[in-house]
Amino acid sequence: MNIRISALCATLTLALSSAASLAATLSVWAVDEPDNYTEKMAREFAKLHPDIQLQVRKVGFSSLNDEAMRAVMSGNGPDVIPIDNPNTAMFAAKNALLDLTPYLAKSKVIDVKQIYPGPLKNASWNGKVYAIPRGANTLALYYNEDMFKAAGLDPDKPPQSWDELYADAKKLTNAQKNVYGLAFSAVGDEEGVFQFLPFIQATGADWDKLNDPGAARAAAFWQKLLDEKLASPDTLSHRQSEAAATFINSNAAMDINGPWELMAVEKGAKFKWRVALLPPEKAGGTRASALGEQSHAVLRSAKNPQAAFAFLEYMYSQRNRNWNEFGMLPPSKDTVTKDPKWPQAYKTFNEQMQYARPRGPNPQWPKVSKAISTAVQSVLTHQADPKKAMDQAYKTVEATKH
Amino acid sequence: MKRYVLMVIALIVTAVYLFPLYWMYITVFKSAAEMFQFPPTFWPQQAESHLRQVFEERNMARFLWNSLLIACGTTGVTLLVGTGAAYALAQVQNRWTSAAIFAVLVLQALPSSLMVTPIFTAFKGLGLLETPRFAVVIAQITKTLPFYIVLCRASFVQVPRELRDAALVDGASPMRAFFGVILPLAVNGILVSAILVFLQSFGEYVYARSLILDDQYQTATVGLSAFVGATKTDWIGIMTYSAIFVTPILIAFMLLQRKIVAGLTAGALK
Amino acid sequence: MNKLLSRFPRENGFEITLAGFALLYLLLFAGLPLLYNIVLSFQQVDLMEPATLLRPFAGLANYRDVFSRPEAGQVLSNTLQFVGLSLLFQVVIGFLLAMLFLQDFPLATFMRGLFLAGWIMPGLVVGVIWKLLFAGDYGVLNHVLTQMGILHSKIFWLSDPQWSLYAVIIANVWLGVPFNMLLLSVGLAAIPADLYEAAELDGANAWQRFWGITLPMMKSTLGAVVSLGAIMTMQQFDLLAALTQGGPANSSQVAQYWSWQLSLQTFEVSAGSAVATLMMVLVLIVAVIYVRSTRNERMV
Repeated sequence: MNIRISALCATLTLALSSAASLAATLSVWAVDEPDNYTEKMAREFAKLHPDIQLQVRKVGFSSLNDEAMRAVMSGNGPDVIPIDNPNTAMFAAKNALLDLTPYLAKSKVIDVKQIYPGPLKNASWNGKVYAIPRGANTLALYYNEDMFKAAGLDPDKPPQSWDELYADAKKLTNAQKNVYGLAFSAVGDEEGVFQFLPFIQATGADWDKLNDPGAARAAAFWQKLLDEKLASPDTLSHRQSEAAATFINSNAAMDINGPWELMAVEKGAKFKWRVALLPPEKAGGTRASALGEQSHAVLRSAKNPQAAFAFLEYMYSQRNRNWNEFGMLPPSKDTVTKDPKWPQAYKTFNEQMQYARPRGPNPQWPKVSKAISTAVQSVLTHQADPKKAMDQAYKTVEATKH
Repeated sequence: MKRYVLMVIALIVTAVYLFPLYWMYITVFKSAAEMFQFPPTFWPQQAESHLRQVFEERNMARFLWNSLLIACGTTGVTLLVGTGAAYALAQVQNRWTSAAIFAVLVLQALPSSLMVTPIFTAFKGLGLLETPRFAVVIAQITKTLPFYIVLCRASFVQVPRELRDAALVDGASPMRAFFGVILPLAVNGILVSAILVFLQSFGEYVYARSLILDDQYQTATVGLSAFVGATKTDWIGIMTYSAIFVTPILIAFMLLQRKIVAGLTAGALK
Repeated sequence: MNKLLSRFPRENGFEITLAGFALLYLLLFAGLPLLYNIVLSFQQVDLMEPATLLRPFAGLANYRDVFSRPEAGQVLSNTLQFVGLSLLFQVVIGFLLAMLFLQDFPLATFMRGLFLAGWIMPGLVVGVIWKLLFAGDYGVLNHVLTQMGILHSKIFWLSDPQWSLYAVIIANVWLGVPFNMLLLSVGLAAIPADLYEAAELDGANAWQRFWGITLPMMKSTLGAVVSLGAIMTMQQFDLLAALTQGGPANSSQVAQYWSWQLSLQTFEVSAGSAVATLMMVLVLIVAVIYVRSTRNERMV
C-alpha cells in the first residue's frame, strides 16, 4: 500500500513539474525480462503524457549490444536504449550517446550527487554522464536451509572462505539425488564474466590485473569445483537464470546469484532459504562482488531528446519501488525502500553492495569480456593451464588500452 | 511378409526421428519441478499447461500473422521470379548458363548474419525500413531465390527437351511452349520447391530480427528468440511457444504432404 | 543438333529475359552486400563511421590478424568437421530413407510425410529443443543412452569440449535429413522402372543394380544435394546460436559463427569480414563442384 502511495506522489510531482507539452513519438527499447521494468515504466510514462506516442521494442539481454550498435550505425535508432552498465563507455566513446550533463544541470528530478559512485562511474565516460542507472545489483550466495540441516551444517554459519565454500559444497553434493553443492554460471559471455570477477577481485587481481597470481588461483578454484562435480559440468553452458532454476528445484544447495532472482526463488522454492555474503578467499579477507544492472541512455540521433530525458527522469523518480517490485537495489543515497520484502536478503544484498566494484570502464569492454570468458572456459575444460590462460587474457586486455 | 518387416523398420526409424518433437510436446505439459527430474518422465505426471498464457503474454497472434504475411510474400515473389529463371537455366546449357548457376550459388553464399549489416544500411538509404515486413521479404528473397532456382531447375531438366522443340516446330512461341507444355509437366517440382521456400521463410530469423525495429511487425521466430534470450530462461514456456508456433504449419503440411508425396512416387515426371 | 541450336541467342531470347531478371535481382540485393563485405575485409573499420567505402586501406593485415589468433586453427578444423560430417551423415541417412520409403509397404507415404516434419521446424526451434535433449543433468538423451547400456556416465554434451561440436553436428544432421531425403526421393522416382526390370532380367542382384543404375542415375541429384547441403551447413547460424554459441572455449566454434561474433559482438568488423571472405572461397569451391555435376546430365 505504502509503495502505491509513494509512487503516486512521485508521479504527481513529476506530472506537475513537467507540465510542458512533450508532443512527440518516443521510441524505447526494453530488455525482455520477467518484470519488464523498462516497458512497464514506459507505459506509465505514456499514460502521464497522452500526447506522447510510445513505441516499445523488446530486445534480448544478450543481443542488446549488437542491435544497438547496428541501430546507431544506420542512424535509425530508438530514442532510449537500455545498456548493460559496463558497456556505457563503449557507446559513449563511439560518440553514440547524448551527453546528459547539461540536462542534469537543469534537472529538478535527478541530483547526480546523490547517485552512488559505482553506478555513476559505470554511467560516465571522460567526466561526462551518458546514462542514468536504473538501479544496482550484485551477487551473493543463496542457500537452502533445509539441505544445510540435512547435511549437518549450521544454516547460521554460511561459508566464510573459499575452503569453507568448497567443504560445504562437498557435504551438500549428493550425486544419487542429483544434487550439486553449488550452482553458478561460467557461460561464455558477459554473465559468466560477471560471476567470475568477484572471485579474482577477492584475491587482489582484477579485470585489468589478470596477470596477478590471484586470477589464476580463482580460475583454479572454479576448476576444482567442477572437476569434483560439486557444481554441474553444465555450469559452462548454464546462464545465471538456469543456475537459479536448478537451485529452486532443489538440484543445487547453494547458488551464486543476484537479487533479480528473488521473486522467482520465492515463487518456486519449496524449502527455507537464505542469502549470505560471497565468501572471501581466506576468512576475514577482502570481500568483493561485481556491480551490475542496466542504465538507460539517450541516443544522439534521438528525434526528441527532451521527451527522452523526461522519460529517464520519470524512471529515476520511481526508484523507491526498485526493491519491492523489481528486485533491484537503489541507485542513490536518497532512495527510500519502505517495508522491504525479503528483509534478510535485503540486508545481505545491501551489505554486499558495499564491496561491489564497477566493471571497467573500458571502451572495448566486449573484447575484454570475451578474453576473460575464453580464458575461464579453457581452464575449466582443462585446455589451458590457469596461469597461462590468464596471462593470455591479460595480453588481450592490455592491447585494448592502446 | 517383406512388406510388414519394412513397415516395422520404417515405424521404428520414424519414431526415433520424431522423438525431439514428442519431447517438445510432452514438456509443454510438465511442471518446472518435473522437467528437472532425472530420470526424466516420458509422460507428464500432473499435466498442466500454459498455452493460453504464453500465447497472450508473448503476443503470439500478432507475431504469427506477421510471419505468415512475410512467408506468403516471399514465396509469391520467389515463384514469380524464380520459375522462369530455373526453366531458362535448365533449357539453355552453355558456358553462360553455367556461369549464371555459379553466380546464383555464390550470391547466396554468405550467412544472412553477415549480409545483414550492409543490407540494413542500404535499405535505410532506400527508405525500405519504413515498410519493415516488405523489407524482410525483399531481403529474404536473396536467400530463397537461389535455393528455389537450383531445386526447380532439377525438375525442369527432367522434362524432355524434345517436347519444347516439338511445340516450337508446331508454331508455338517460346512463351507458349513454356506455359502450355513445360510448366504443367514440372508442376510437381515447382510445388515441392514452393512449399520448401514457404517453410524456410516462415522460420526465418536473422533478417526479421535486424530489419524490423518495431515489435508490431515482428515475426514469431524473433518473438521466440526474445523469449529464449530473456533474462529468465523459462524452458516450459519456450517449449509451449515452440509448440504453438510449429503445430499449425505441421498440420497444414501433413495435409498437403500426402498429395505431394503421392505425386512424386507416381513418377509424374517420368 | 540441339546443342548447336541453343547457342543462338535469338532462339532463346525469352529464356534469357527470364534468367536475366532473377540474376539482376540477386546481383543487386545479394551481390552488392557481398562485395561490400570483401571491401571491408581489406580496410581498417571503425563500426561507428557512417556508411562509406572510403576507409584506410589495410592490405592483408586483417587476414594476418585472423590467422595469428590462437583459436584460428581450431576454428578451421571445426568448420571442416562440421561441414564434412554433417554432409556425410545427412546424405547417407537421407539416401537410405529415400530408398526405404520408395519400397511398397503399408503407410510408407504417410510415414515419409511425418519425416518431413523436421524440415518445417525453424532452426531456432530445433536448437532450443535439442538444447533441452542435450542437458547434461536432466536431459533425456543421457537417460536413454544410459538405459541402453551405451553410456556409463552422463555426457555433458554442450559443456564438454570433447562433445560440443558433435552435439551441434547431431542437431544439424537431424535438421538436414528430411531435405536430403525429399530431394533424393524425387531423383529416385525419376529413374525409369524398366531399367531395373531389364537389369533384373539380366540377372543383376540388388547390390549391382544399386551401383550400376541407381548411383549413376542419381549423379546430378546427388550433386545438387551435396552442394546445397554444404552451403546450408556453412550458413547454419540459428542452431549454433541456440546450442553452444561456439563454446565452451571455442570448442564448437565454426567460421560463420566466429565471423559474426567478431563483427557484432566484439565489434572487430575487419577481422569478421576477413573470415567471411575466406568462407566465400570455400563456397566457391562447392559451387564449382555443383556446376560440374550439372554438366553431364543431358548425356543420359
